[in-house]
Amino acid sequence: MNAKPGVLSSAIRVFDFSLGQMLWSRRSVFLALLVGAPMAIAFAIRMVAATRGLPVINGAGLSGPTLFGILIWLLFVRFVVPVLGVFYGTSLIADEVDDKTITYLFTRPVPRSAVLIGKYLSYLACVVMLVLPSVVVVYFLIVPIGGHIGEAFPSLAADLGMLIVGLASYGAVFALVGAWLKRPLIIGLVFAFGWENTVLVIPGEPSAVDAVRALQDQFIGAVGASAWNGVAAVRLCASDGAALRHDLIHVMTALRGSLPRIWTN
Amino acid sequence: MSVVVADHLSKWYGQVIGLNDVSLTVPAGITGLLGPNGAGKSTFMKLMTGQLKPSKGRITVLGEPVWENPSAYFNIGFCPEQDKFYERMTGREWVIALVGLNGVSESAAKEMAARSIETVGLSDVADKKIGAYSKGMRQRIKLAQALAHDPQLLILDEPLSGMDPLVRRKTIRMIKEWGRAGKSIIVSSHILHEIESMTSNILLINQGRILAEGNVHQIRDLIDEHPHTVFIRADQTRRLAREFLTDDQVLSMKFEDGGVVVQTGRPDVFYARLTELAASGELGAIHEVTSPDDNLQAVFQYLVKS
Repeated sequence: MNAKPGVLSSAIRVFDFSLGQMLWSRRSVFLALLVGAPMAIAFAIRMVAATRGLPVINGAGLSGPTLFGILIWLLFVRFVVPVLGVFYGTSLIADEVDDKTITYLFTRPVPRSAVLIGKYLSYLACVVMLVLPSVVVVYFLIVPIGGHIGEAFPSLAADLGMLIVGLASYGAVFALVGAWLKRPLIIGLVFAFGWENTVLVIPGEPSAVDAVRALQDQFIGAVGASAWNGVAAVRLCASDGAALRHDLIHVMTALRGSLPRIWTN
Repeated sequence: MSVVVADHLSKWYGQVIGLNDVSLTVPAGITGLLGPNGAGKSTFMKLMTGQLKPSKGRITVLGEPVWENPSAYFNIGFCPEQDKFYERMTGREWVIALVGLNGVSESAAKEMAARSIETVGLSDVADKKIGAYSKGMRQRIKLAQALAHDPQLLILDEPLSGMDPLVRRKTIRMIKEWGRAGKSIIVSSHILHEIESMTSNILLINQGRILAEGNVHQIRDLIDEHPHTVFIRADQTRRLAREFLTDDQVLSMKFEDGGVVVQTGRPDVFYARLTELAASGELGAIHEVTSPDDNLQAVFQYLVKS
């Protein structure tokens, strides 16, 4: 009789098998475009800053590190990370089931739990490879606007760490959704863009009603200084002048309704 | 020795019965699982390969329970019916990746993949993307992944579907050779002629029940009383049809969907003639030979009534 295959060694084999598939899928091309958007925005800001000087909001100049923090918080933490988590995480198992290719994995000496773990690890490697370079490019484009790359570097490292934790957490939640439920993408989108935004405006301790918000609370403890600066800058602007605050509410609501949470903190 | 033992095995999909209280023993050697589409063949095969959990009863394969027992797959090779792949991989990459899941080293996986690809006659196209393969090649690469790790038991779900006559003949020979080499093989089809060309040990399945098992000559005679329908699409379909016009065993012919539908009273004679024509190359390539299971369905209805 053959020995029972181990979960970890099997998961590594599934990881090997899945990573190439995931990296070169059509989904990855689309998501590469998604993480390219912050780079394009950063490039545009850099061009404007080169011709008109430091950006000014409500009479106050924003430094490069602060702008970088705003982009990290609004674009990456509140938008790119959940979108990647939903689109990739829910598809990990569901796509194999829909395509009927799961048969090939389930008729090999690999425990089913190892299939999920291996595919989750390949998701994590894939999204980290997509997101982190984008963040670094944004950093090098934005921080030199009135800031010093060297000084802000520790904060970049912390932000990168925070994003990895975010990608891992969202991916884990949505991988389970994809493995257990039918129509996981719809459920994931409703959860990430409906439920989470709804919960954000509920006062009081959120952990009891929203696991992902509880995770976000943990991220804030680990967030890099630049992202904190970004949050603080948004708060400052929003509390200073009703018209600007009104505009910011619209802008930030469009960027997945992050303002209510920031404002009420 | 028994390779599969089912004991009051049932599988339900909600209100629908996939397999209904099946108790049987499949001996070593080649066994054909014959039944019309929707009879429960694929459900039975999925239960045999541990993809489905039985709703009731139990099943053992090579003496071991197979549900939630991944180590059983070291000795089982499965070729599924569905024509689904990771299309962007080459045939070789795909087989290497799958056999790699058995825990062998990369070099061993490459060696095993090369051997199985050669066995199914795809060495010359192994480095092409699977997306560019013909239906017959796709069937053969599925066979290659099933046998790459040299399993004791091969479970093949409609392996001849979509193959042209020459490849079909070659594959039948190959399956028989594997049987002679000591492997046990369970092969499903809805075409008696195909199954009979590989084995005389047949399980007849319909509406989730095993109707008969063993050497079923009487069933064969019964099936022969019902005309067998074959659809053929070839480079020169009309010339091909002319070749069969004078044959006594051809009962009718009609052209539809870019091919010809032939009804024959002697499928064995008809298929032998078709294979000869394909081998001669006189009429160009024969792209598709399929058989709807109307005649088999009629026979099963007759069996159930009687």
